[in-house]
This record gives sequence, structure tokens and C-alpha cells, in this order.
Amino acid sequence: MKHPQKNKRPSIAELQKENFALKEANSRYVRYIRDKVNQLLQVMGTLPLNPEELDDNTLLDFDPIGIVAVAFDQVLDHLRETNRELVIARDELQAIFDATGVGISIIDMDFRIIKCNEKQRELLVDSDISDIDGRYCYEVYCGKESPGLDCPAIDTMATGRSVIIREVEKKGKHFQIVTTPFKDSEGNTVGVIEVLLDITEKKRAEDAEKMQRGFYLAEKSKLATVIESLSDGLFVTDRDGTIISFNNAARRITGYSTTDVVGLPYDRFLGMLSGSLPVIEMNKNTELNIQTKDDRQLIISITSSLVKNSEGEDIGKVFTFRDITEEKQRQEIYYRTEKLVALGQLSAGIAHELNTPLGSILGYARLLMKNKKLDTIQKERLEIIAEQAKRSSAIIKGLLNFARQSNPSLRNINDANINDILTDVLKLLQTEIEKHNIDILTDFEETPSIKVDVRQVEQAVLNIILNAIQAIKDKGKISIKTSCKNNFVKIEIKDNGPGIPDEIKPKIFDPFFTTKPVGEGTGLGLSISAGIISEHGGSIDVESMEGNGATFTITLPINNSEV
Amino acid sequence: MPNRETLNLDILGQACPACLLVALREINENRDKLKKGEIEIIIRTDHRDATRTIPDFAKAMGYAVDIKRIETYYEIKIGKRK
Repeated sequence: MKHPQKNKRPSIAELQKENFALKEANSRYVRYIRDKVNQLLQVMGTLPLNPEELDDNTLLDFDPIGIVAVAFDQVLDHLRETNRELVIARDELQAIFDATGVGISIIDMDFRIIKCNEKQRELLVDSDISDIDGRYCYEVYCGKESPGLDCPAIDTMATGRSVIIREVEKKGKHFQIVTTPFKDSEGNTVGVIEVLLDITEKKRAEDAEKMQRGFYLAEKSKLATVIESLSDGLFVTDRDGTIISFNNAARRITGYSTTDVVGLPYDRFLGMLSGSLPVIEMNKNTELNIQTKDDRQLIISITSSLVKNSEGEDIGKVFTFRDITEEKQRQEIYYRTEKLVALGQLSAGIAHELNTPLGSILGYARLLMKNKKLDTIQKERLEIIAEQAKRSSAIIKGLLNFARQSNPSLRNINDANINDILTDVLKLLQTEIEKHNIDILTDFEETPSIKVDVRQVEQAVLNIILNAIQAIKDKGKISIKTSCKNNFVKIEIKDNGPGIPDEIKPKIFDPFFTTKPVGEGTGLGLSISAGIISEHGGSIDVESMEGNGATFTITLPINNSEV
Repeated sequence: MPNRETLNLDILGQACPACLLVALREINENRDKLKKGEIEIIIRTDHRDATRTIPDFAKAMGYAVDIKRIETYYEIKIGKRK
């Protein structure tokens, strides 16, 4: 362009050109503004401005770029705030994740570890490994080269469902594992969350308890064995007095089974046994007559004591009892013998005392009667005196007889076998036999049972054998033979003692006749035996030669209508 | 709670993008009050596309948006984010 002169006005052509250029530039600027506004609108997701919608001036006044700028400022603000909140939330989650008491680990579908909290590290990751992201979980946690066959994660991956494993051992500790699927927004399983709970302590406690229980059960069973092996009967009641256990010996002695007895109140059971309600004192022996289930009559000695628990409270009672029938019988025989002996001694004493004055009375009466100078009345009176004296003597004899026979226990007739009776008597005399060094020979034939008062026959036989023992004094032989003939049972008791002289033989069954010094023996033994045997309808005989021992023969009828 | 002002903006008959820009202008001018929850803006429009563009942007800016259809037009309520 030509440089204009100072006073020269530009030409119209020049102005036209300038105008055109300015217009073009203007268009370009406006186009730029509109294009950029549209670009912004496009970014914002809306349609571009229609050129007809807003004319240039309105467009500029409207200031769309300014509006969009301020709008984006708010968007940025919002973003920043959201980010801040996200960071805080993330930090919180991380803190919870690490502080929790269970191990949490997240793996992807290839078993690679995506995330792992502190507890998990503590529980399952070896301390020398620091970086585990991306490593295989089976390698790091389980020390394996491939996933285990029973790995719950495999299950969860396959089914998309949670799996619980209640107990598994890894690296020396015991765990409970729960695996949960980690799903994306479409519901596909894209990973597995594993939660690990350390139950080692709990398991240890459980194992200890199991062991304790084992010990306890073993002790309990030992105790039960001991109780069952006892030879005394034992039963235990609870606090209410109900029987809760009943041992083997108790069953054997009473004949009742456990089911018969357990559950009964103990006083009812004792009532069943004894027919009354006995009072059993604590820690003292009470004797009880009982009838067993199979109708045997027994005598038992029973005692009870309290059972206390470890705090000292009463939780029941324990009863123990023993069959003392045999013991009692033995005692009874001895007592009876002693009683008789005492009575006999007393009687013997009295009789001796009385016999002398009576003898004098009788003697002098007779002497006086020899006087020929007596008148009838005097003779009569003397006869009366003599008669009365004789009568007194008879009374004394009768009294003695009565004393011998007065046995308070009723006569008890039972079927019994004489061999059994003899065996029992020998048992009773065992000590005496051994003391005197005596050999006993028995020859028992099969004999039928006979109806007798067993106690009395025992007494009779015992006296005879005792007699034989005492005759022998020291070292000898007694042989006992039983046989059966003609409706009679025969017992022969033979000893090799000094024998019985002829003059004494008829007297030996007399009451109070004895060859022993005064005070020793009563002379009643054989007379009692004779009495008993005769009352049973039997008889006793003796055969003896001086220096050659003695044989006593007892016969008893088998069918005795008298008894 | 302090009484909230309501600003009613009627852009019935207006088409995009003008309705978006007009809405944005009102939001901009009231941004502080909107942020504090002192005001809410109710925009009436019958332009269907506006029910997409305006809420999208308003949410990106951090506001709560609620759209209601009332017979022949739409009501877009813009307020503080809960």
C-alpha cells in the first residue's frame, strides 16, 4: 500500500478495500467464536447453536463461553471435593482392613493375591517375604505349588457361592476359613475374598477338655469295676432316697436284678426285703432278717453313710451290706451251747447241793424206819418223810430235764440231708480239730433227706463229736460214716481215744454224768444229744472197749410221723 | 432449617442448546446460595433433551437433581447435594 501523504485523503477504492478486509476479519473472528462455543457445547453433550438462534450481538451479550467457564469451575470444585472424600474413605477402610482380628485376603481368578491385610500377613505369610502382591496365594499362604484339592476358593470360583471350612491346619496353626465371591456389576465372579479366623487356642482348649473327659471316663469306669467286684452288696441313693445303683454282690445276695431295684425309694426296697420299715443307722451295723427274691431267708448286716460332693454337700447315701447268715448261725450254736453249759453248771451246782441234804433226809428216815419200836403212826410219818424226799429228788430231776430241754427257739422242721449236717458241724469244730491234731475221715453214703430240726440235730452230733475230740485229747483219728438201711439213716462216729470202761457205759447218757473233774464240763452234752435224737424218733448207741476207742451210732427214721 | 428460596425458571418453548445455557447461567449466578442450601432452582421445560443435558451437568457440578413430569412439561429441581 502506498504510504499516504500528509494532506492526502485515502481514495474510495482504498477505503473499500480496507472495509472488505475488516469485514472478512470480523467474519473470521465471529466464526471462531461461534465454532468454539459449539465446540464447548459439544463437549457438554448438547447440540451446537443454530446460527439463526442467536445473532452475533445477542450471542456476545449472552456470553456462552463465560457461562460454560463458570459451570466448569463448579464441576472442578465438585471433583476436588469428591476426591478428598474418597481419599478419606479409602484411608478409613484401609485402617479397618488392617485392624480387624481376622485375616482378609482377596485373590483374582488366577489365584493371584490382589490384597492382603495385616492380620493375614501375621497368620500365614512367612516373615521373610515382604512383597506378595501378584504372587500365588497357594504359594504364599499354603506353601504349595498348586491349589490344594480341598481349597474352598476353587469351590467359590466355580459356584459363585460362599464356602465355609470349619477346621483346617496350615503352618502349625488351626483356622476356620470362609471364602466369598467377589462379583462385578454384572454379577460375574471376578475374584474371591478369603476370611481367616485363628482357632488354634480354641482347638487346644477343646483337645485338653477331650483328654480330661477321657481321664474322667476312665476313672469312672475303674470305679464302676471296683464297685462291681466288691464282695459286699452296695447300693447308692440320691438326695431323695431313690436308689440309683445296685452292685453285683447286692444282686447276688438279694436275688433282685438292677431293673427290679433302681428307681425305687430305698425304704421301699428295704421293706421288700425285710417286710417292715427298718431304721438303718449311719455308720453303724444293723442286723436285718431278709427274704430274697427267690425266697431264701438270710440275715444281713447293713450300714449306711452319707455321700458328699466336693463342696461338702450331701448328694445321697451309700448302703453296704453283707450276708452274715452263716456267721450268725455259728454264733447261735455256740451261744446256745454256752448257755446250756452255764445253765447246766448252775443246775449241776444246785442239784449237787440239794442232793446231799436230800440224801441225808432219805437216809435218816430209812434208818429211823428200821427201829422195831415204832408205832404205826410214827412209821407212817417216816414213810411220808422218805416219800417226800424221794419226790423232791424227782422234782429236781424233772427241773433239770426241763432246764436241758428249755430252748426258747421254736422247733423248726425242715427237709435236710444228714451228710450236709455232718459237714457243717465239722466246719464248726474246725478249730478244735486242728488244736487237738485230729484227723477226720468221712465216709458219706448217699442218703435221702429226712425231716428234722436241723439246729437240734446239729447240736446232738456236735456234742458227740466234741466228746470224741475231748476223749482223744491230743493226736488221734475220728471217722464218721453215714449209711441208709430199712427206712433208717445211720451215723457212726468212731474215735481212737482211750475208750469207755464197762462200768461207766450205762451212765454216759445220764444228765450231769461226767468223768471230768468238777468245774470242767457239765455231763450234759451226751444227755442232750440223747434227748434230741429220741424226740426225733431215733436212737443212740455206744460200743466201746477200754483202751480201744468208742463208736457212737445214731439212727434216725426217714419217715417220721412223730416229728 | 432456614427457609429456602425457590427460583423458578421458565424456559418452555426454548430449544437446546439455548435452554442448557440459560439454565447454567441461572445456576452460576446462584452458585453460592445453592451450595449452602439457601436456594433451590425449579426449571420448567418442554424440551425432552433438556431433561438429559441439564441434570447431567448439574450433577457433575455437585448438585442434587430431581426430575418430575407434569402433563405437558417437565420440572427439574436443582438443590444442594445431600
